[in-house]
Amino acid sequence: MAVVNGARVAAEIEIAALGKVFGQGEAAFHALKNINLKIATGEFFTLLGPSGCGKTTLLRVIAGFEQPSTGALAINGRQVAGQGPNKRPVNTVFQSYALFPHMTVAQNIGFGLKMLGKPRSEIDATVAEMLRLVRMEALAERRPSEISGGQQQRVALARALAPRPRVLLLDEPLSALDLKLRKEMQGELKRLQTETGITFVFVTHDQEEALTMSDRIAVMSAGRILQLGSPDEIYNAPVDRFVADFIGETNFLTLPVAGVSGDQAHLDLPGGTSAPARLPAGLAAAPGSSVTAVIRPEQAEIAPAEGADLTAEVESATFFGTDTHLHLRLSDGQPFILRRQNRPGQPPIAPGTRLGLVLAPGALQVLRD
Amino acid sequence: MGGNGWKWLLCAPALVVLVLAASGPLVIVAIYSFLSPGNMGGVTWEFSTEAWFRVFFRRDIFEPDLVTWNTANLAIFWRSVWLSIQTTVICAVLGFPTAWFIATRSPRSRPFWLFLITIPFWTNLLIRTFAIQEMIRNNGTINTVLLWSGLIEQPLQMLFTDFAILLGMAYVFLPLMVLPLYAAMDKMNLSLIEAGYDLYGSRGAVLWHIILPLVKPGFIAGSILVFIPAIGAYVTPRVLGGGQSLMLGNLIALQFGQGRNWPLGSALAMLMLIVVVVALVIYLRTVGRSDGERRV
Ligand SMILES: Nc1ncnc2c1ncn2[C@@H]1O[C@H](COP(=O)(O)OP(=O)(O)OP(=O)(O)O)[C@@H](O)[C@H]1O
Ligand SMILES: [Mg+2]
Repeated sequence: MAVVNGARVAAEIEIAALGKVFGQGEAAFHALKNINLKIATGEFFTLLGPSGCGKTTLLRVIAGFEQPSTGALAINGRQVAGQGPNKRPVNTVFQSYALFPHMTVAQNIGFGLKMLGKPRSEIDATVAEMLRLVRMEALAERRPSEISGGQQQRVALARALAPRPRVLLLDEPLSALDLKLRKEMQGELKRLQTETGITFVFVTHDQEEALTMSDRIAVMSAGRILQLGSPDEIYNAPVDRFVADFIGETNFLTLPVAGVSGDQAHLDLPGGTSAPARLPAGLAAAPGSSVTAVIRPEQAEIAPAEGADLTAEVESATFFGTDTHLHLRLSDGQPFILRRQNRPGQPPIAPGTRLGLVLAPGALQVLRD
Repeated sequence: MGGNGWKWLLCAPALVVLVLAASGPLVIVAIYSFLSPGNMGGVTWEFSTEAWFRVFFRRDIFEPDLVTWNTANLAIFWRSVWLSIQTTVICAVLGFPTAWFIATRSPRSRPFWLFLITIPFWTNLLIRTFAIQEMIRNNGTINTVLLWSGLIEQPLQMLFTDFAILLGMAYVFLPLMVLPLYAAMDKMNLSLIEAGYDLYGSRGAVLWHIILPLVKPGFIAGSILVFIPAIGAYVTPRVLGGGQSLMLGNLIALQFGQGRNWPLGSALAMLMLIVVVVALVIYLRTVGRSDGERRV
């Protein structure tokens, strides 16, 4: 059983204390370190992290292209150590698509079923269904070299879906597409996942893509999973400095702890007031000590100086169309970025202006550090 | 149009070389095959189809009207084609794993392995062929070792057999198969193989459905590079095949030497050319046809 966003569901993939080492001795490189992960059936699960953090390696371990150096991996409740990729109910959509250049679109899509020894009639029926699913009926007899990048991407998807795998692994499948096509394919992928009910493990280094598409996200860095949670948790309650920094824009504030009650801390703000902040699980912050807390730029609002949580002076303003970023300096000298929604007729705020700020309730999150 | 004329002029040196070096000798050989032999070699300028006649037929010495097929020539022809086909197949079978081995080494060590493949080219062909002769002679290295170890009682007759010719030719021509195969494999995207495994292909299925079709251009280039020189091979059958096991190259050389029949030699050479071209066309038609990547 895996717990996903509070609900208990059957685990499709179970990874325990998994590590992967490339090379030996002096040259040994730990690409994955102590990965623990349960992915639920039918979940859209995303691995998010910067280049070189081990996303592809983890995906290749699940697919069976690499064997783990330590730890255990179970798919659908069965240990798969030592099993080759052709023995696992898992298919991959490769980053480079890896379509077979000597086969037509239809032959590419039917390849997996052919290898499984399915009868001709069943293969033809499934291929036709897949072509319809990815809207490629008209191009079934073309070769991969004769279709566009976005179309190749859809064929790669159809080819991996055709054998009805339990799990689909997608390694940055959209990174080669331009922005417009990318948005379109994001919707398409989500639709396919809902329609087929297949578990998706999706790799990306695009945080926006991860936030919009996923049921849950694992943020990785240097071979480790730093935080695992729903997009909302990852965005609004990052427990790790790297996670907070990697996803979106955020303000880091160093603040003294006034008191602790349960998983809440009260932090002293520069203006003399105090505000509640969430503590990460297992972190004991001693009153009097300093912690790092984060708050998103849109979680504070301009208010009259009296009764405000904070006061700050405007240093500069950057116009972004839908909103303006105000670069502020708090009364104790710490920088603070405020995102202010642009409205017609709203007077501009000049540098040097002094402002009061109120923080949205529950907006402050303490980091594990 | 004037500009175009200038461009053609720039091609002139290449055209001259092509005409003189490639077509020129060919035309001379073609003409010679329709002339009469001179007494001391060479030709006399008299039109005659006798040379072409003698390629295929034989006149009885006593009754010139009695014409039979020249089975000796035809047998040598067939032998040459057959030995060359075998050589090509042997080179393909040995060359594929060799090229695969090199293509799967780390990029840094590949030049080293390719260098090893080309080392034989550094030594004269004749010397290498005599080295093989030395090894497979009745009292050569291999037989000495086998006799000494007690595995055989009598020396094995290897020299002056078709086996010796095949061994020699496969050895000489193997690099010509390995290099184009390697080039084809090097171009291949390795994730295609992973995709094959991922889609439930066994090792054999991936080899058959993915790797072989993708390196087929390498096989085709390698086969051409091996088959053409093999069919005209001279040194190898001469040194390793001995007097009895002639191949086409030796038969042709014989007509220009002891035989003193240049027109017959020329006709045989022309026929060899025709055989090679026909063989290539048939080969490309059958093997090259399903090569969908090239045909749009
Ligand atoms: N076969 C290998 N041998 C040695 N090191 C490897 C091997 N494969 C990957 N690595 C290393 O492991 C680390 C993780 O690589 P991986 O490909 O998983 O990164 P990634 O998160 O997918 O990055 P990207 O976003 O750039 O694709 C990298 O530092 C890489 O150099
Ligand atoms: Mg990657």
